[in-house]
Amino acid sequence: MLLEVRLYSGLEIYVENVKYGKPFQVELPSGGTGRQLLDKLNIPQEQVFSILVNGIHRDRDDQMEDGDRVALFPPVGGG
Amino acid sequence: MSRFIRLDMSTKKVSIGETPEKYLALGGRALTSQFVLDEVPATSHPLGVKNKLIFAPGLLSGTNAPSSGRLSVGAKSPLTGGIKESNAGGVTSQKLASLGIKAIVVEGKEDKGSYILRVTADNAELIPADDLAGKGTYELTALLKERYSEKAGVICIGPAGEMKMLSAGITNNDSEGNSSRYAGRGGLGAVMGSKGLKAIVVECDKPFDAPVQDKERFKVAAKKFAKILMDHPVTGEGLPKFGTNVLMNIINEAGTLPVRNFSTGRFDGASEVSGEKLAEVAIERGGKATHACHPGCVMRCSNAYPMPDGKVCSPIEYETAWCFGPNLDISDLDVVAKLNYICNDVGLDTIEAGCTLGVLMEAGVLPFGDGEAAIKALEEVGQGTALGRIIAAGSELAGRVYGVTRVPAVKGQGIPAYDPRSCKGNGVTYATTPMGADHTAGYAVTANILKVGGYVDPNKKDGQIELSRNLQVATAAVDATGLCLFVAFAVLDNEEGLPTVVEMLNAQYGLELTIDDVTALGQQILNNEREFNANAGFTKADDRLPEFFYEEELEPHKTKFELKDELDEVLKF
Repeated sequence: MLLEVRLYSGLEIYVENVKYGKPFQVELPSGGTGRQLLDKLNIPQEQVFSILVNGIHRDRDDQMEDGDRVALFPPVGGG
Repeated sequence: MSRFIRLDMSTKKVSIGETPEKYLALGGRALTSQFVLDEVPATSHPLGVKNKLIFAPGLLSGTNAPSSGRLSVGAKSPLTGGIKESNAGGVTSQKLASLGIKAIVVEGKEDKGSYILRVTADNAELIPADDLAGKGTYELTALLKERYSEKAGVICIGPAGEMKMLSAGITNNDSEGNSSRYAGRGGLGAVMGSKGLKAIVVECDKPFDAPVQDKERFKVAAKKFAKILMDHPVTGEGLPKFGTNVLMNIINEAGTLPVRNFSTGRFDGASEVSGEKLAEVAIERGGKATHACHPGCVMRCSNAYPMPDGKVCSPIEYETAWCFGPNLDISDLDVVAKLNYICNDVGLDTIEAGCTLGVLMEAGVLPFGDGEAAIKALEEVGQGTALGRIIAAGSELAGRVYGVTRVPAVKGQGIPAYDPRSCKGNGVTYATTPMGADHTAGYAVTANILKVGGYVDPNKKDGQIELSRNLQVATAAVDATGLCLFVAFAVLDNEEGLPTVVEMLNAQYGLELTIDDVTALGQQILNNEREFNANAGFTKADDRLPEFFYEEELEPHKTKFELKDELDEVLKF
């Protein structure tokens, strides 16, 4: 399955030629999880705090679906 | 001795007395709201002779407690007609506290001249200053620092306040002299303007000279608190790296970014006005991606953004980047910075200005996405034209003038950067805080979006009432301490956080407060504020969101706001 992935707030440094917020496609086996996505992208698990799938917080072992919009964040805050 | 300064602008008399017994244990918002309830008739005209403006440093300000330099400013708000506490960073809170000043009260009225109040170690003096009338805050601050002391802190208003515009703010400077640390919300700049007071100059070169009873005990607690802040990933890493505008992308991804005057929840250009972009451009142009608004802040969430015209906008906060960016369909950070700078100079609340421009774009007065048109329109505020006055009168009034129904405001104050339909906890706060729509009053974005202090699904109504209530009580107490609200990120996740704050207060004042006392203080502040508003004529009908949030679905989650009668339970203690 193909995921539409966006990296933010410093996580983009782990993937070559990727800029924060610019979507790129990642192929994972059907039923793949956030954890598998991070491993495939070589992003250390502990660097990622939030995984938003189609705008909803998901646990890293939740399965994703083909075409999902996935956004990865380290811990962020402000206000 | 704790000093209480009263300035009567009707008689031009300044009196410096001891702090009344009743106010000795209060500071920051606890003091300003108690005082306004005690001394300002709730039905008085906000710009009239009976309104009183009070400046009070927080209880821990002027000590080396980390990130404790917040100043509270209170009065009856011309924008909402209710009580207002507006809260600012910058250097003057620490200076006032270091001079042993509990509060400065400005009362009475002056219609003709322009004056400044000069506060020194042993005196406070009112000085006529007609030569300073009409000056922008940047020039004014530089002039006053040159005239009196380079190390002075300057609290002042711009032309918007002098023209008594409803969303005029009161600013003070950071360590570099930028007059950009605003008590922005609620139009308190107009109250200061109505009294003929252009500025307060606080001459003091010591930021950490407030009296502390048990110095050793305090030192241990303050050090521990600094470590708690440094160890938390948000306050120790996230905020220092990209500032508050790091939120732009996650709020956008979560689908709760208000776009085109709250008509949808996602914006394709969000990254272009985000904290990541800001840091990139600021560093490229020789600015700063991280910066402290006052000495002793460990979070350093501020920044300095050099603009193409050579001036520097410092800082650009998330809410400002949102209101002049996605809210107006603008994705050019230079335009955002320019609009921000104009507000800082003319003396206007950025959030209200952005909300109002959004409403005017909705009305077709100027086109969505047109940065140049927005800049030109905002420049009219300083010129005092009819359009300029409408812009500075706030979103609700602009909506009425142009017949717009999608007006994002509660109690007359514009709703900030989180759409209440997909960040429902903040929706509860917007509706019920006595301040009018205010994201800081009970910042449920923590548990709704950031997963700090637990997780409550932002798209469902379950748990939002309790979440907002607890945050509003805690926030009121934090606003009394002078601590920056951002310490909450660490305090919510660390069970030693709140006890350490209590320990610092006990060491400083020789008290034996408990955590329960802090909760009681927060509730007391809110009760005082609600009592004032009730006396001013507010009812539960004022504790609701605008109709369109209940009727129009927000993309991408297709959410509406559903909470109504439950809102009446939020602030019942």
